Amino acid sequence: MSWKFLNKKPLSNERKYQVILAPVITEKATMGSEHNQVTFKVAADATKPEIKAAVEGLFDVKVEGVNTLNTKGKVKRFRGRLGQRSGYKKAVVRLAEGQSIDVTTGL
Amino acid sequence: MQISEIKNEGLSREYSVTISAADIDKRIDGRLQEVGSTIKIPGFRPGKVPMAILRQRFSKSVMGEVLEAAVNESSQEVLRQNELRPAMQPKIEIDSFDEGKDLIYKMGVECMPEIKEMDFGKIELTRLKAKVDDKEIEEAVERIAKDFRKSEPIAKARKMKSGDVAVIDFKGSVDGVEFPGGAGEGHHLELGSNSFIPGFEEQLVGAKAGDDLDVKVTFPAEYHSEDLAGKDAVFAVSVKETREYVDQEINDEFAKSLGLEDLDQLKGQVRERMENDYNQVSRTRLKRELLDALHEGHEFDVPAGMVEQEFEQIWKQFEQARDAGQLDESETSKGEDELKAEYREIAERRVALGLLLSELGTKNNIQVTQDDLNRAMVQEAQKYPGQEAQVFEFYQKNPEALANLQAPIFEEKVVDFLLEMAKISDTEVSVEELMKDPDEEDAPAPKAKKTKAKKAASKKAAAKKTAAKKAD
Repeated sequence: MSWKFLNKKPLSNERKYQVILAPVITEKATMGSEHNQVTFKVAADATKPEIKAAVEGLFDVKVEGVNTLNTKGKVKRFRGRLGQRSGYKKAVVRLAEGQSIDVTTGL
Repeated sequence: MQISEIKNEGLSREYSVTISAADIDKRIDGRLQEVGSTIKIPGFRPGKVPMAILRQRFSKSVMGEVLEAAVNESSQEVLRQNELRPAMQPKIEIDSFDEGKDLIYKMGVECMPEIKEMDFGKIELTRLKAKVDDKEIEEAVERIAKDFRKSEPIAKARKMKSGDVAVIDFKGSVDGVEFPGGAGEGHHLELGSNSFIPGFEEQLVGAKAGDDLDVKVTFPAEYHSEDLAGKDAVFAVSVKETREYVDQEINDEFAKSLGLEDLDQLKGQVRERMENDYNQVSRTRLKRELLDALHEGHEFDVPAGMVEQEFEQIWKQFEQARDAGQLDESETSKGEDELKAEYREIAERRVALGLLLSELGTKNNIQVTQDDLNRAMVQEAQKYPGQEAQVFEFYQKNPEALANLQAPIFEEKVVDFLLEMAKISDTEVSVEELMKDPDEEDAPAPKAKKTKAKKAASKKAAAKKTAAKKAD
């Protein structure tokens, strides 16, 4: 276990904004909205507890659970050279019953 | 949708129309759905974009479109419900609108006036007929003959006089230096024709064939060549030959030289042409009389907006003419207000007649057929010899231009139709009487002429406008 999980200090406001990068607006992400789930792009080093704290703090909602996944960048060839697209971490956040975030309005 | 009438005066009506917010929202949603099925947004397959996102992204731009459609549709509805026949595009003014609120707008319409047809059988017209008398034909033939006269060498050597033709070689110089274009050989110069520099021809009067002489002239100050303007020049002229004009004898021979069989045929053709001319004038007069009669026989309000439009047009023409300095004395002598009043009257008459003619045309099912159009097109094409194909192509490619052709034909047809019903009595008059402006007797001449000319030109415009309106 790394030090991150031992750190019990409350998340600073600055860190909250660093963790949540952007909402993911795709067909798949909107499918989740039927199950009270909202998807964000998050910092690659963000942990689930951090994300939970950040979403609760920034959007003023109750978070039931957080699932995360790392999207790897594709390897692309440009002028015969290999290149790596940058990947990102996504977090699917399940909100408590009856709560919602309007992802389109922004912060 | 709620409609309430605010104003109902004469021909103009005003309505206030309210469209509920829910109605507009429904329209917007419908439109968004349409847009959504084709639009591409990253993260979504085409047609799979959720409504919420569509609304957030596109509702603003769709709004304008929807509002326009809503206003158009509802204004049409207003016209239908109240059974109005608009004379012009309704004027629409949006009073208030916000997202999520009701749309309220004001609509001003000018209706077409109810036109009660008069009994056309009661119209009495006189057709002026001018007979072409033989004397005139003789004169015309003589004129033609003069145009074709030949010059022949003067048989007995004599001094030349004005009207003779000198065949000359000449060489001109300024200050002893020859200048380009100042020399010529075997030039036929008619004395007194003023085709040369002033003073040149006069000095040749009295010369004989074979004479050599110096002609001293001064180029006029506003001569087209700057180098020569105002300079004194000396032309060394040698007269080679002197000729004089011989009157062309009017006989079969002359007719043959014009490519005709004999003199009678020439006379026949001249007569035909003159008769055609007179018939045309007589028809114009007749038409004018008819229009006057129609104008008097019908009493109806004229939509103010149309008059205003027509007036603007006339005024613009007038201003153009004024700027170009092509005004009659009668126009410059009057004040602007006076002129405006005068033109307004003309505009009213034009609009009234235009409306009347188009109304009569539609009521009596007068239509411009393709044949008529083709004929007009051919006529138009003949005005540009050598470019007929281009003219045809132009009309094929430009339906508006064709519509322009249509209006006068339509007018003519309606006039024909009316003339058939009207009582027409023929009167024989002299040519001078036929050509005389009918207004000259009772009104100051120049004004009347102007009005007439303008009327003739623009009644078409009015008819055109109404015809065009009917088309859409």
